[in-house]
Amino acid sequence: MSRAVRWIVPVVALAVAALFPLAAGPYPLAVARSVLTYMALAMSWDLLLRSGQISFGIAGFFGIGAYTAALSALHLGLPPVLSIVAAGVVAAALAAVLGLVILRLRTVYFAITTLALAEIFRVIMQNGGDASGGPEGLVMPSLIFNGEAKALYWTSLAAVLLSGTVSALFQRSRARLALTAIRNNELSARSSGIHIFTWLMIAFVSSSFLQGIVGGIQLQEYGFASPDSVFDSYYTLLPLAMALLGGTYSTPGPVVGALLLGVAAEYLKLKIPYGHLVVYGIIIVLVILLMPRGLYGVYRGQVKAWAGRPGVDRG
Amino acid sequence: MAIFVVAAAGILAWKPSALIYGVQRAGLYAAVAIPMALVLGIVHIVNLAHGEFMMIAAYAAYFAARLLGLDPFLALLPVALVMAGFGLAVYLATVKHAMKAPELNQLILTFGIAIALSQSVNLAFTSQSWKLSLAYVSASATVGELSFGVFDFVYAGIAIILAVGLRLFLTRTRFGKAALAVGENPRGAAIVGINVDRTYALVFALSVALVGAVGSVFLARQAIFPNVGGPYTMKSFCLVAMAGVGNITGVLFCSLALGLSESLINSIRGYAGWSNIVFFLIIIVTILVRSLRERKS
Repeated sequence: MSRAVRWIVPVVALAVAALFPLAAGPYPLAVARSVLTYMALAMSWDLLLRSGQISFGIAGFFGIGAYTAALSALHLGLPPVLSIVAAGVVAAALAAVLGLVILRLRTVYFAITTLALAEIFRVIMQNGGDASGGPEGLVMPSLIFNGEAKALYWTSLAAVLLSGTVSALFQRSRARLALTAIRNNELSARSSGIHIFTWLMIAFVSSSFLQGIVGGIQLQEYGFASPDSVFDSYYTLLPLAMALLGGTYSTPGPVVGALLLGVAAEYLKLKIPYGHLVVYGIIIVLVILLMPRGLYGVYRGQVKAWAGRPGVDRG
Repeated sequence: MAIFVVAAAGILAWKPSALIYGVQRAGLYAAVAIPMALVLGIVHIVNLAHGEFMMIAAYAAYFAARLLGLDPFLALLPVALVMAGFGLAVYLATVKHAMKAPELNQLILTFGIAIALSQSVNLAFTSQSWKLSLAYVSASATVGELSFGVFDFVYAGIAIILAVGLRLFLTRTRFGKAALAVGENPRGAAIVGINVDRTYALVFALSVALVGAVGSVFLARQAIFPNVGGPYTMKSFCLVAMAGVGNITGVLFCSLALGLSESLINSIRGYAGWSNIVFFLIIIVTILVRSLRERKS
């Protein structure tokens, strides 16, 4: 791909996304907002996956973000925007502390531990009594920007922009080389002088920071957090399936996956109130078996194959 | 061992009911976890759909009870057979093709299978919970001043039967020995003429059949719903990891330790909600200690 295309596509996509509320009605806008939420989570999940560590705990840090935003706004009186920043910072700090221990784990041990952590966070909030609102959770007195639909949409878009920027920065810096090397073979990565633990920590903290931010935004936009709503495994499952379908280890992949599955999710939710998630299970299975690199991976393979043909001008 | 005896004696003196319920709980955990230990030890696949297979079997047993009037204990064998076939089909259609894929892909694959299974049931029967009301599950016994339910001891019995049975199967039978060899060294096993692919398929099917049998008994007492299996997947994996891959007897003791500590927390008034967290904390610490030790050696 030429350099121009690499810049033009994201800029045009962002411009279209930013102008979308001016043309869309309230319902499409609400759907788009949920698509953006999952998109940001999918990109954050992919960030850590690049290091070869798979997290099943997206909902955990997302929920921590939502609770942090609620508690900091209710008890410390932080304005909404600052409470969202606080959500990211607390999720990142928590990840840093937990990471000291759990980043020594690998593959399935790490994966199960992240799943268990999400459950622990949920139990803590559920049993936290008045401090956490208990099983009923917390309700905000008002929404951010007074619930103005366009403003809410742009707030979610900002989360996507942030996640996309972080994701792209990782992809275009030394981080990419380091994480790929760790994923492929830790031993040879270590002998090339890569400090594995540091890089895992950077990826884990960044990914949790983004998930916390998205959780904080979710709280401010819906004004409500309860143990069963914000720690719902839905928030782990959907981003995971989206990133896989779109194509992992890339920035455009999760975006494409979130667009496709996010819109589909909304449609299915209306058609099939119970069990529409079965589609995600099947998609995950099929992608792993038939297309492990995802749609974007396949596309990139095609482009490479085409560009590699003799006689093609590669200017 | 000594620690267990001392701890058990201590609990017995302080809260005898916690000891009884702890053993019962431990039995259920171990019965579900042992088939997972089998697959992990021999096929080297972490089956994140393990609990979902139990859930499917429980639903099958439910229909056997409602439509054919079969008691869950009578349905145990037919359900196990059906589940063996189902497990084999799932293996051949999916897991088989990922045996050479990176571990990460295998994990995501079985995670996807778990979602597909639980949500199919959700789609077909909604998330409402179903329960049989059998008279014998409320059987109770009285010792001194203490009165307690005895039915759940059946899980402990099943766990012990599974542990002993699998041990005999793996050390005494021809197929079992071959399976053990495949687990230790697949390439070596293939060289001496063992059909490795077939062994993987059959062991996977056997594990699904066993957890299916447990699921049938599970139905006798518990309410079932699409997500009922999920927590058992997680707990089973944690127990297997605690015991160490391939150590089936170890699963029994780890279950006992967890069952007891959980029921102890449960028995303290006002703290019942925290019992889950204790379980996970103990498990995380143990996995950490174990994995650190493994990396050092």
